[in-house]
Amino acid sequence: MAKILVENVDLDFPIYGMQRSLRRALFQNAAGGFINKKDLQHRRVTVTALTRLSLQLNDGDRLGLVGHNGAGKSSLLKVLAGIYHPTRGKVWVDGKISSLFELALNIDIDDTGYETIVTAGMMHGLTQSEMEGKIPEIERFSELGDYLSLPVRTYSMGMTTRLGFSLATVLDPEILLLDEGIGAGDARFTERASRRLQELAVQSAILVLASHTDDLIRAICNKAALMNSGRIVKIGPVEEILLEYHDEKARLEPQPAAG
Amino acid sequence: MAEIENRGRLRLLVTTGAEDLLHGLQRYDLWSRIGFMEIKRRYRRTLIGPFWSTISLAVFITIMSTVGVGLWKQSVREYMPFLASGMMVWLLISIMISESCTLFINSQHLFSRMRIDYSILAFALVWRNLVGFLHNLAAYLLVAILALPGLVNFSLLWMIPGLFLIAANAVWVALLLGMACVRFRDVQQLVVSLLQISMFVTPVFWPPHLLTGTTRLIFVQLNPLYSFIEIVRAPLLGHAPTLSSYIMVAAVTLIGWLVTFNAFSTFRKRIAFWV
Repeated sequence: MAKILVENVDLDFPIYGMQRSLRRALFQNAAGGFINKKDLQHRRVTVTALTRLSLQLNDGDRLGLVGHNGAGKSSLLKVLAGIYHPTRGKVWVDGKISSLFELALNIDIDDTGYETIVTAGMMHGLTQSEMEGKIPEIERFSELGDYLSLPVRTYSMGMTTRLGFSLATVLDPEILLLDEGIGAGDARFTERASRRLQELAVQSAILVLASHTDDLIRAICNKAALMNSGRIVKIGPVEEILLEYHDEKARLEPQPAAG
Repeated sequence: MAEIENRGRLRLLVTTGAEDLLHGLQRYDLWSRIGFMEIKRRYRRTLIGPFWSTISLAVFITIMSTVGVGLWKQSVREYMPFLASGMMVWLLISIMISESCTLFINSQHLFSRMRIDYSILAFALVWRNLVGFLHNLAAYLLVAILALPGLVNFSLLWMIPGLFLIAANAVWVALLLGMACVRFRDVQQLVVSLLQISMFVTPVFWPPHLLTGTTRLIFVQLNPLYSFIEIVRAPLLGHAPTLSSYIMVAAVTLIGWLVTFNAFSTFRKRIAFWV
């Protein structure tokens, strides 16, 4: 049994510039007597990433997040991953969460492929011996061969992706969160990756995937949510939501031919 | 009530400061690996690796000793071990303090893409520096046993609680300075300049007994850095640290952890927004 419950979540990013250096903060404290707190709050520059967002996901839900850049997809994923703490509202979960954002595991470019993957796996909660036990599987899936003993610095973009993605094959989460970027790598690997994702999606109880690739969402998800300016505008069957998303896109950028 | 029951097995997706510290401490496999990998990276493709810092320290001590002996009319047999042991501990403490400033700034690529217990980064920092210290210690003991056998006796065992106390304090310093520096970017510059000054006003180069009166009270007795150095330096010089050093260290430990625990509990969730 896995479950995610998001209740009225707001996420505001404070923007810190020169105006909030130590000097300023000290000054503000000194001036605290006559500048009231409310004014101070208004002065703080924030960017709203999520607005009163609520969402419930149950066992078997494989949700695809669609929306324009800046719609809040990644922010939502990062809130679900526990990276960002919501400004307001609550997130409840039941189940072990793993997140795979940005497949380049930039731990350090001078570490070898083996070192990188073991460290990354341990950061995702596995022990060193567990990770070492999974090395054959990683070798098989990544097809990096001897490159695994070389520093990640020498890898091509596609190879980096393959290494990063092979981590997805050894994690065993109940809730899996994936961000876009899976499209990288050569065509054959992309196909294998999406097949592997489908298997993973079946294994994990809940999956949330943000992607701009319709086919990936069709292949993996059984539900989709359209996001716009930090809200979930609509949630429903994949095809319906994708249609809505493309309608929205067409409205925003009218095709010259469509006149 | 009903609402809570409905939640069943659900847990709030929040990590408290205490949970972070406890789970972080338990992941010794991870923080020792992160620390070890950092040492490995630093000395990758070098021939003698971490012993480079030991050698540069040895050269420094040899040259500085000749100056110190003349300046403070000390005997070489007394001054050189004093300077060597003091510098070793000073380096351990000061490097940990200055690295604390970049604790979160330098590892944002890690925690901006996955949830991680921040304390793991602090433990890794402390562990890595202790390993570096042990390299210097090995060289020190080797030279001491060969040249001045009287220096090494059972008092050396006092070094164990001393190092433990330094490590316990380094964790809170790392978290507190790490947070302060990631939020207020001026703090790092402030710390760097304070450290530079501290090196000269703390009895590292000069024997503390040369100072008398009020200046002694300020720069020796009330200087917490002196007590922290003393709890490891005294055992290295063959005698037990004084009780007053332990009292000072205990007080700093208590206050430091109290402040840090509160700050960390309050601001832990904001660290991701500060980087």
